[in-house]
Amino acid sequence: MNTQLPTVVAEGVAFWASRLPGWDVARAVIRGEQAAPENAAARPAPALLGPTERRRAPDTVAIALEVAARACAAAGRSPSELPAVFASTHGDLAISDYMCATLVATPALISPIKFHNSVHNAAAGYWSIGTACHAPYTAISAFHHTFGAGLLEAAVQMACEQQPVLYVAFDVEAKGALATMAPSRGLLGVALVLAPAASARPGGRHLTLRIDADEPCEATPSRSAAASLVADNALAPCLPLLEALAADEPTTLQLTLGERTALNIQVGRA
Amino acid sequence: MSASQSPAEHELAELIVSALNLEGVAAADIDPEAPLFKTGLGLDSIDALELALEISKRYGFQLRSDDENNIRIFSSLRSLAAHIAQHRVT
Repeated sequence: MNTQLPTVVAEGVAFWASRLPGWDVARAVIRGEQAAPENAAARPAPALLGPTERRRAPDTVAIALEVAARACAAAGRSPSELPAVFASTHGDLAISDYMCATLVATPALISPIKFHNSVHNAAAGYWSIGTACHAPYTAISAFHHTFGAGLLEAAVQMACEQQPVLYVAFDVEAKGALATMAPSRGLLGVALVLAPAASARPGGRHLTLRIDADEPCEATPSRSAAASLVADNALAPCLPLLEALAADEPTTLQLTLGERTALNIQVGRA
Repeated sequence: MSASQSPAEHELAELIVSALNLEGVAAADIDPEAPLFKTGLGLDSIDALELALEISKRYGFQLRSDDENNIRIFSSLRSLAAHIAQHRVT
């Protein structure tokens, strides 16, 4: 069974990984135009937050807000007006590990700030505070299928409401016992502004999304030099779409939405 | 300002700066008489809970969220250090 969605225009692209700190460098490495920096970049500072939120912001918030703000800037859209979808495979496993360990050892001594940051929608909440955005946001996870599921959610919201939607996906370093079951290394974030074709700004890439259900499926493998730099992060399945967006030619790729459900994406010419 | 901190107040000031990850604040520069909340250091209610947790871990006694004297106890570095000096067990 196949279901076609209306065409989506990716207006602004943002990317951040420790060895690929920004879309310009990531795009150039994917295209084979330059080598990746030797050293990891410092964690981005969430500049749009006030001092109180900034000093409490964990890695999830820092990476999500960095790419969200850059995608809005690249698209020329106001962050305070865009509905948003935030996707993360694991949220913050370092805090989850802390919470579990503390509940076993000294349950009355849970850090209120860590508790406050432990929820899966922490990054979305900080974003809405920092940008004073009153538009709705969604925070989702779908384990290995998180990036595709988040993209589909954002595209469906855009199609239903006929207005631009900000899509933000991120995963950070897993820590402690949980990291042995759900490993993830480094920081990785991706953001796109998705707009309806009828009202999109010029210069965006057209994406045609189709859901292929009820048949075994595999994701398109990533092929660029960027792949090995992000392969051990839980959000690594995002890379084939970024490789398609970095190329000038039209491409078709597949993300997974489940064991037997795929998201087929045709990326139009640059 | 720093000259007027007692050793116990300075130790508490260092705990506040590290526990709350205060940006650009040196423990020695915290005025012991200045308000900790709203004005002064600009702390809020989540900071108060975090601080109470760190104080209980460091000094071995509980600060209770329903204590009617909390506004006075948390009013400044000096008053908080005095309360700790009275109640600490470690």
